[in-house]
Amino acid sequence: MKLASIKPITVLISRELAIAALLLLGISFLVFMVLFLSPGDPFSSLLKDQTASSAIGTAARSEIGGPAPWYYQYLAWLGNIMRGNFGTSIRTGLPVLREVIRTGINTLYLTLGSLLITLLIAVPIAVFSARRGFTATNWVLTMFTYVVSALPVFWLGYIVIYISMHRFGLFPLAFGSGAQTWSWVYFMLPVFVLGLSNGTMSEVVRHLREELSRVFSEEYICTARAKGASIWKHSFKEGFLIPITEIVATKIPFILGGAVVVEQVFNWPGMGRMAWQAAQDRDFPLILGITLMAALFVRLGSLIERAVHIIVNPRFAKE
Amino acid sequence: MKRYRQHSIEFGNLSDVPFWKTAGPIDLVYISYGLLVVLLVFVSYVLGMTGFLPFDPQEINLELLMAPPNTEGHLLGTDFMGRDILARLIIGIQAYFLPGLLAIALALALGTCFGVLAGYWGGGLDTASTYVSNLLNSFPRLVLILLMVAAFKPDIYLVMTVVGITNAPTVASLIKSKIQFLKQKNFIEAATALGLKNAVIIIKHILWHNCRSVLIIQATLGMAEVILIETSLSYLGFGVQEPTPSWGNMVQSGANYFMQGKFWPSTAPAMAILLTIMGFHLLGDSLNNILERKRDQ
Amino acid sequence: MKRLASVLTIFFGVFVMLLPQAGALTKDDGNPNGGALNYGEYGRPATLDPITSNDMIALRISELIFNGLVGIDEKQEIVADLAERWDISENGRMYTFYLRKDVTWHAKEGEDPMPFTADDVIFTYNIMMHPETITPLKVRYEFIDAVTKIDDYTVEFTLKRPILNALAKFSFKIIPKHGPQNSEFLAREDPFVQNPIGTGPYLLKNITAEREIILVANENYFKGRPHIDKVIARPFADQNIMGQALMFNAIDMIVLVNHRDIPQLQGDKRFVLQPYNALSYSFFGFNTRNPTLADKRVRKAFTYALNRKEMLDSFFQGQGTIISGPYAPGSWAYNLDVQPLPYDPGKAVELLNEAGFVKGADGIMEKNGKKLSLTIKVPIAKESEAVKRVILAFRNYLSKIGVEINAEFQEWLAWKEDIFLHHDFDLMFASWVFDDSADISSLFHSAEIGPWKNNFGAFTNAEVDGLIVESKLTLDHEKRRTINRRLHEIIADENPYTFLWTLTNYAAFNKKLRRVAIHPYKFFSFADDWFIPESEQR
Repeated sequence: MKLASIKPITVLISRELAIAALLLLGISFLVFMVLFLSPGDPFSSLLKDQTASSAIGTAARSEIGGPAPWYYQYLAWLGNIMRGNFGTSIRTGLPVLREVIRTGINTLYLTLGSLLITLLIAVPIAVFSARRGFTATNWVLTMFTYVVSALPVFWLGYIVIYISMHRFGLFPLAFGSGAQTWSWVYFMLPVFVLGLSNGTMSEVVRHLREELSRVFSEEYICTARAKGASIWKHSFKEGFLIPITEIVATKIPFILGGAVVVEQVFNWPGMGRMAWQAAQDRDFPLILGITLMAALFVRLGSLIERAVHIIVNPRFAKE
Repeated sequence: MKRYRQHSIEFGNLSDVPFWKTAGPIDLVYISYGLLVVLLVFVSYVLGMTGFLPFDPQEINLELLMAPPNTEGHLLGTDFMGRDILARLIIGIQAYFLPGLLAIALALALGTCFGVLAGYWGGGLDTASTYVSNLLNSFPRLVLILLMVAAFKPDIYLVMTVVGITNAPTVASLIKSKIQFLKQKNFIEAATALGLKNAVIIIKHILWHNCRSVLIIQATLGMAEVILIETSLSYLGFGVQEPTPSWGNMVQSGANYFMQGKFWPSTAPAMAILLTIMGFHLLGDSLNNILERKRDQ
Repeated sequence: MKRLASVLTIFFGVFVMLLPQAGALTKDDGNPNGGALNYGEYGRPATLDPITSNDMIALRISELIFNGLVGIDEKQEIVADLAERWDISENGRMYTFYLRKDVTWHAKEGEDPMPFTADDVIFTYNIMMHPETITPLKVRYEFIDAVTKIDDYTVEFTLKRPILNALAKFSFKIIPKHGPQNSEFLAREDPFVQNPIGTGPYLLKNITAEREIILVANENYFKGRPHIDKVIARPFADQNIMGQALMFNAIDMIVLVNHRDIPQLQGDKRFVLQPYNALSYSFFGFNTRNPTLADKRVRKAFTYALNRKEMLDSFFQGQGTIISGPYAPGSWAYNLDVQPLPYDPGKAVELLNEAGFVKGADGIMEKNGKKLSLTIKVPIAKESEAVKRVILAFRNYLSKIGVEINAEFQEWLAWKEDIFLHHDFDLMFASWVFDDSADISSLFHSAEIGPWKNNFGAFTNAEVDGLIVESKLTLDHEKRRTINRRLHEIIADENPYTFLWTLTNYAAFNKKLRRVAIHPYKFFSFADDWFIPESEQR
C-alpha cells in the first residue's frame, strides 16, 4: 500500500468512528425509549412471589434504580456506560459487559463462519455465470441459491441434525464437555446451516454476477483482454472486492438475526439466544448491552467496507 | 430488501414498445411463475370465502392426531389437533397478505418521503435522513422485533410495522440515488426551466415515470421477506398465534415431531414457503432486469 | 408449561427422630464410586444460591449443593439433616435445634474447610428476612418471631404462634456466613449467587462459558461421599433437541420429559422412565369480576362441557389424574369422596339456559341480546404444544355448547401482569405447583384479592373464608383434615376454577444409573445414593 493511500484511510476511519459513536448514541436512546414505553415492569418477574408485602418491593426497587424520570434514568445509564460500567443483568446479576463480550464472541464466530460459507458457495457460482453467460449448469446452480435462500432456517437445522444423527450417529453439540474428537464437525454444522439459509445467498450471487459482467464489459477490460493480459488482475478490485465487501457489510444485521434462531436450534451459547431470553425477562441492562454490541458489529462491517473502497479507489475518500 | 443499481431514466412514455417484447425469455418464465404465486394468494381468498376447501381448517378431530398423508381423505394428513393440513395450508397465506401489505406500504411511503427529501433538496435533510437510515440499518432486525413483541404483544401487525419502518431506508436510498442520477443528467433543471412546479416534478416525473418500477420491485421482495420473518418468529414462539393458521406456525408445530421421524406436517408448509418466496424473489429480480435495464439492451 | 409456584407450605408426617449417623466419609452400602451424570435442563438457571433463585432448575441444583436443618426422606418423612436432633417446647412455640458438629463448608483446593456452626443458621435467617433481599422464601418464614444462638451448635427459633407441622418448614437451605460479600442482604450482584458454597454432597467446580454447571463430589460430605463423581447440568434451548440428546447419549438424564417424547422412550430398552408425582395441577381460572362468570351455574356449565378424559388421553397419553378440587391428589387434604364432574354437554346447556342464556340464530348463546363470548389469556410456551392443544380443545368443546372463546396468547410477563395486576381477563389457563403440601388459603381467601395476590379471580365465599382461617388455627391433624375435606367439597361445588388434572411427571435416564430415587419437587434430594456400576462408568 502506498503512503498516499494511508492518509485518506486514517481520515476516513476517524470520521467513521465519530459517526459510529453518534449512531450508537441514537440506538441506545431508541432502545431505551422502547423499553421505557413498554407496559411491563422488569422487577415484577423478580418480585412475583413477594406479593404479600409491597413495601418490600418498593425498597428493592429503589435499591436497583427506582422510579425516576426517563431522561434522568437515561442520562444516568449513559454516564455509567461512558465509565465502562454497563450495569448488571436483572435476571442473573452478572455484569452485562462481560456477558455480552463472552456471548458476542461466540456469535461472531457463527456469523463470520457462515458468511464465509455463503461466499464460498456463492462466489464461484457468480463468477462462473458471469464468465459463461446463461448455461444449463449455472441455471441449476443459480436456482439452488434461490432455493436455499427461501428455506426456513430452523427447519433446515432440524433436517441437518436429523441426518447427522440418524445417518452418521453424530450428535451436533458444538459446545460443552461432551464434544471431543469430532467437535470441529459439530462446530461446522450450525455454521453451515446459517451459511446456507441466511436468506442472502441468491442476492450475493446476483449482485456479484451483475457487477462482474458490468466490469467485464467495460472498455479497460476489453483493452486488457485485447492485449492478452489477465482479465482477473484488472477486474479483481472493482468487480470483485468492492461488491463482496458491500454485500457483507449490508448483510451483517440479517445474519445476526438468523443467528438468533440457529443458536436456539444448535444450543450455541451466543448473543442471539441471550437476546431472546433477555427480551422475555425484560432484562433492560442486558438488552441495551446486546443491541449496542450488535450495532457495533454492524458498524465495524461498514467501516471495513468503506476502508476497502478507499484502498481500491482513493477518489472515494473525497466524497 | 435488496438493493439494485440504477441504469435508466425515463422521460415520460418515450418508448411505446411493451416491455415483454424486449425481455429475455427466461425472465418472462420467472415473471409468469411469480405472477402465478400472486394469483394463488387470491385463489386462497376465494376458496376461503366460498368455503370450497377439503375440510374446515379449524375443525378439530382428537381421534386423528398427526395422521400421515392420505388418511380418511386428508390429502396432506392432519396436524397436532387433527386439523386438515391442506385446508390450513390454503388459508395460511392469508396470515401474511394484509400484514405484509401494511409493511410494504409503510416501507414505500416512508422510504419515498425520505428519499425525495434527501435527494431533491439535499443538504441538511440529506444528512439527517442518512443518519436515520444508518441508525435503522444498524439494528439486527430480529432482535428489535423480539424486543417489541416481548415488550408489547405478539401481534403480527406490530411486527409488520417494525418491518416496514426498518425497510424504509433501503427504499429511501434507492429513490435518492435515482433522483441524484436524474440531477446529474440535468433532467430536473430542464423540468424547472419549463416552469413545472416542484410537486408536479416530484410526483409525476420523478416518482411516477422513473421510480414506479423500483417501488413495484421492492413491494414484491418485501412480501417474501415478511414470510421469512414470520417463520423465524414462529419458531421463537412470537409469530402468528393459534388458532389462526400461518405457514410459519405450521412448520413450527410440525417440526416438534420432526425428530420422531414424522416429516409430513412440517414439510408441506415448508415447501409452500419455499415455493412462494422463490416466486416473489424471481418476480422481483426479473422485473428489475426488464424494467430497469431495458435501455442497456 | 410455565408454572406458578405456590409459596406456602404445610407438611404432614410423623415426627421421627433418627439417631445421628456415624460421621463416616464413605458410604457403607457397598456400591461403587465413580462415573459422571450429565443431565439436560430446558433453560438456564438465573442464580444458583437457594435464596434469590426462583426457578425450578436452580432449585434442583441447590438440592445438590446445600442442606437444611431437617430433610425429607424417601417416605416423605422428616429426618435429621444439619440438625442431629431437636426439641419442641410444650406450647409449640420454641424449636431448639442441636446441630451436627462434623459438618464443614465446601472449600477451595488448598484451603482448610470452615466448620458449620449456629452462626450460619442465624445468618441465613437474617439474610432471608432482610427487606432488601429479593426472595420468594420470605412470606413462608413470617411465622418465625426470633432466632437466638444458645451456643455454637444450638439454635432456638421462637414462633409467633404455634402452627401445625412447623418442623417441615425448617428444611430451608443454610448458606455460610463467609459466603456472600454483603453480610446484611443478598442481592443478585453478589458473586455468591453465581458461586455458591454449601455443605451438600456436591460442590460447584465451575460454570463453563456455555453455562454448563459442573459439580463434583464432596469428599468430606457428612453423610458420606456421594457415589457419582461428577454431575453436569447442561442447558438446552430446544426441547426437541434435548430429547434427541438423551437418545444419542449426549446426556444421561432429562429431569422432566416432554409428554410427546414418552411413547418413543417407553419402547427403548436403554432408558428408564421414572414417574414422580408432582404436587401440581392445571386449571382454567374464572374471573368472577365478570358478571357472567360470577354466576356459579355458568362456571359449572363450562366444567360439564369439557371432556377432560379425552384431552388427557389424547394429549398426555393418559399420564395423569383428573381432579375435582383445589388440592393435588397426592396430598393428604384431597377429598377422594368428591368426584370430578362428568362430561355432560347436555347438562351444560341446561345450566346455561337456567342462567338465562338461550341459543341465538348463529348458534351462540345469548342473554338480553348479548353474546356469550369470552377471552382466555394464556402464556406463550415456545415449543410446548400441550398448552396450545388444551386451549384449542377447550375452545372446541365450548363452541359445541354455544360459547365463543377467543384465545389470546401472551408473552409470560405480560400475561402475569394482566392476570395478577390488572385482572384484565375472563378466563385463564395455568398450573399451580405446591412445594410440600397444600395450603390453599392464598388462592381462595377473600383477603387475598388485590394486585399481585393469588386470588386473581376475586373468588369470595364466606364459608370458605371461615374454614380457611379455622384450618390455619387448628393444631390437631385429624380435625384439620376434616376441615380441608369440607373445603374441597365447597370449592368443588363453587367451581372458581375448572380443575383439570395432575400430570404424572417423568424423568428419563440411562439404564446405567442405579438406585435412582426422585423427590417429587426438589428432585435431587437422594442423589448422593445414586450410583453407576463400574463397568458402565465411561
